[in-house]
Amino acid sequence: MSIRGGSGEAGDGLSRPLAFADTDVDLAPASATPDPAKVGSASVRIEGVVKQHGATTVLHGIDLVIAPGEFFVLLGPSGSGKTTTLRILAGLESVSAGRVLMDGADVTTREPGARDVAMVFQSYALYPHMTVEQNIGFPLKMVGTSRDEIARAVGGAAAKVGIGHLLQRAPGQLSGGQQQRVALARAIVRQPRLFLLDEPLSNLDAKLRLETRLELRRLQRSLGVTTVYVTHDQEEAMTLADRIAVFMDGRIVQVGSPRQIFARPLSIDVAAFIGTPPMNLLAGEWERHAVSVGSSTVAVAAESRTPRDVVLGIRPHDLRLAEGGLRARVEGVEDLGDSAIVDLVVDERLVKLKTDRPPALREGEAVFVAFAPEDAHLFDSTTGARIG
Amino acid sequence: MNTAAPTPLPRQIALYAVAGVGLAVWAFPVVWGLLTSFKTERDVLAYPPVWIFTPTLANYREVLFGASSIVPNLVSSLIVATLATALTLVFAIPAAYAMARLRFPAKRGTGFYVLATQMLPPVGLIIPYYLVLQKIGGLDTYGGLTVIYLTFSLPFAIWLLVSYFEDVPVEMEEAALLDRAGRVRALWHVVLPQVKGGIAVTTIFVFLNAWNEFMFAVVLGGNRVRPVTVAMFNFISVEQTQWAKLAAGAMLAMAPVILLGMVAQRHIVKGLTVGAVKGGGRRA
Repeated sequence: MSIRGGSGEAGDGLSRPLAFADTDVDLAPASATPDPAKVGSASVRIEGVVKQHGATTVLHGIDLVIAPGEFFVLLGPSGSGKTTTLRILAGLESVSAGRVLMDGADVTTREPGARDVAMVFQSYALYPHMTVEQNIGFPLKMVGTSRDEIARAVGGAAAKVGIGHLLQRAPGQLSGGQQQRVALARAIVRQPRLFLLDEPLSNLDAKLRLETRLELRRLQRSLGVTTVYVTHDQEEAMTLADRIAVFMDGRIVQVGSPRQIFARPLSIDVAAFIGTPPMNLLAGEWERHAVSVGSSTVAVAAESRTPRDVVLGIRPHDLRLAEGGLRARVEGVEDLGDSAIVDLVVDERLVKLKTDRPPALREGEAVFVAFAPEDAHLFDSTTGARIG
Repeated sequence: MNTAAPTPLPRQIALYAVAGVGLAVWAFPVVWGLLTSFKTERDVLAYPPVWIFTPTLANYREVLFGASSIVPNLVSSLIVATLATALTLVFAIPAAYAMARLRFPAKRGTGFYVLATQMLPPVGLIIPYYLVLQKIGGLDTYGGLTVIYLTFSLPFAIWLLVSYFEDVPVEMEEAALLDRAGRVRALWHVVLPQVKGGIAVTTIFVFLNAWNEFMFAVVLGGNRVRPVTVAMFNFISVEQTQWAKLAAGAMLAMAPVILLGMVAQRHIVKGLTVGAVKGGGRRA
């Protein structure tokens, strides 16, 4: 499965300039699309990579093509193989079969230090016995860069992430957010061809995570460096990625732009993983332009000539209360302030409906819910694959 | 002390009493030795023991500059202990690092073997060691005695250091690899600075063990290589024991050890705790 292109779709709305909270450094205006011609931005190709740990197979043949300058997110639940894939790109993990290519060159067996990739670890992995300045300068010191040049590069990188005033501190004296920026600065100081991030935001509190997410996106845009980002948080993936690869059980089940993955999930697993709250899934029988669920029948856009068992998927925000459609019983209403979730039971399955304002409904009340025929997602009830 | 509620007075008295008794029992031989080292042989043998006496430096003069000077023996001890310590560190640091980090065949077996060498009673090895050293001409040589000390200090040092290396997060080393350090420089710049404490503790323990060792030194040493522990034994002979000189020699032999202990006290205590918490549980 190698899919190219389709970049920049979701990021457009997020690339507006944002000032770092604690710096007055002016960054070059972020361009809306990554510039592939930018120096030091690598293309990556993964071909048939298999990874086995003893008897267990962690990756069952991964294929991926990542374009230069792309912000590429590996998304999946824990244990799905996304972090292993990232570590294989870094050279920290060997492969059992398959190849890894960077700019066309086979780097499968190349040492991590010889790949020109930088990585931000989930734990940041800062060197506790060095100052912030020494931490950031370490990758340059290791290749014999002159002292003056290191100082200049460290100053620049630190300013870019807004920690210029912390250079003489020890990592232990910094807050989690500041440590995270040090890790970022250490990664960008050497201008790598490939930038790897392993759940870099997961150790931050919710508010800081949202801020940093936007800054990260902007930083990547301004640097134009190919970035591979691992997360299990689908919201993070949706907001950051040019393209997403969804991992399930050691396989890539779908690759596409955030919009594509949200709008056309290729399997039940992906459908259930993406979106908050997740897609409603109901067993039904599909014939011609209709699906019958329990005692109700609803119209769908796709047509089946012969009757077949399907799983009908509808996003909570695509559902609305109506005069007819699916028969439902109200379980409760959750008012979220700016929106509301109505918990319903349809054909003995819990269904969620998302709406702008809380409707006046009583618990136990019988209602009907409906959706536009083109909003229906249909999956094969045995294989889980998308069929309409 | 001053943050929590003050300990009730009777309890405090009891604590100090217990600590005092413990200290007295421990300190008695040292104090006895210290006093004896300033006595004349006549005062030493006086019964009942005299507590008030005219101190003399004659014993120190004798063991330092006299016919039975122990200075060459102190030098001997210093050479053996330093050599043993240095070589132990040179081999134990990479070995412990490998045991903590690398995957290699028979890793568990190797770990157990390292520990098992510590279970042998040393006295059982004296004769084989003697015979081997005799065959290769290693008796009464610095090399010979140092190698024998290594057979004990090396497993101990490896075992002690492994838990320190295991404490360094793997990700930190991986970060160094990605920062283009390579394995050796990652070890040098990132891992070693973080196991400094463990290396200090190991250094002290290995040095102390070698410095205080008597049994192997007396059997495998000789006229050329005669550490201070053996030399002091010579003050005890069939006709008489020269207690005062023995005591003065003992004080001189203890001095470097006590100094080292005082300098490194903090590291030792910390090291012992780490070893206690980690070493026991994780190693099988």
